[in-house]
Amino acid sequence: MNSHGRIDVAPADWEQVVSGLQREGFTLFDFITVVDRGSTLEVVARVVNPVARVPTMVWTTLPADAAELASLCSIYLGAAWCEREAAEMFGVVFIGLGDSRPLLLRASLGEPPMRKSSALVARAIRDWPGAAQSTDDGRQGGNPSRRRQLPPGVPEDFLRDEPLVSGTTGDER
Amino acid sequence: MIPAEAHGTIALRASACTSCMICVRECPTWCIDLVSHTEQVSEAGARRPKTVNVLDAFRIDFGLCMYCGICVDLCPFDALAWSPEHDHGATTAAGLVQGIKELEMAWPPTQPPTGN
Repeated sequence: MNSHGRIDVAPADWEQVVSGLQREGFTLFDFITVVDRGSTLEVVARVVNPVARVPTMVWTTLPADAAELASLCSIYLGAAWCEREAAEMFGVVFIGLGDSRPLLLRASLGEPPMRKSSALVARAIRDWPGAAQSTDDGRQGGNPSRRRQLPPGVPEDFLRDEPLVSGTTGDER
Repeated sequence: MIPAEAHGTIALRASACTSCMICVRECPTWCIDLVSHTEQVSEAGARRPKTVNVLDAFRIDFGLCMYCGICVDLCPFDALAWSPEHDHGATTAAGLVQGIKELEMAWPPTQPPTGN
């Protein structure tokens, strides 16, 4: 463990390392969350030693296309909620997590919404105020010779230049 | 008593705004709307006229704004600043949209812009 209380472990050692921390006095589970790094997902669990008031964070890295990790539910019951959330929002599969029903979204929604590869539909269907450019006559629309700027979070070809099909956007959420 | 450095609202100094659109593009909630046009300005001694942006409209929708202050931080010309004013009451959603006039009424901010 370094001075910042960070431990990096291999996915295979995840459960064992956290279990060891729990036995050492890190009896308070704080949270599990995920960071999307593109081709990999980093999973982080924060646990606290409530007597010494020392927190520590355990990090592991999973491939984004095969994100599977052992559940910590057998060590901390409260981890189930965070794991369900991580499963729903980032598509991480927690092995041994009993109840993995989605908390908020429909199971059929598709791409986990917090993945960076998941397009932000609400942004694609609304005109981005940042696309406006100064014009010689004060009208909006910009100079057609300049490359159109796209808002962050919307892939270049997503829902552009094609009619919106009823039932596929907007009203699903 | 509201402290002078409170983040009550975002104030605009339109004369400092160059319509560079940085605030509009960086706003996470898309609550800023800016309309501008370009004009040719001839300066004495200059060989050809200069093209400048002229600000026509600047609106912040405080119904969408989450007061993150990213626009204030990023404005390269200190045209945006925090102000302790907090008079956002409105009876309609549209009433929460403030234009240049309202945003300038909150200026000057009590905190000097950074970098000066």
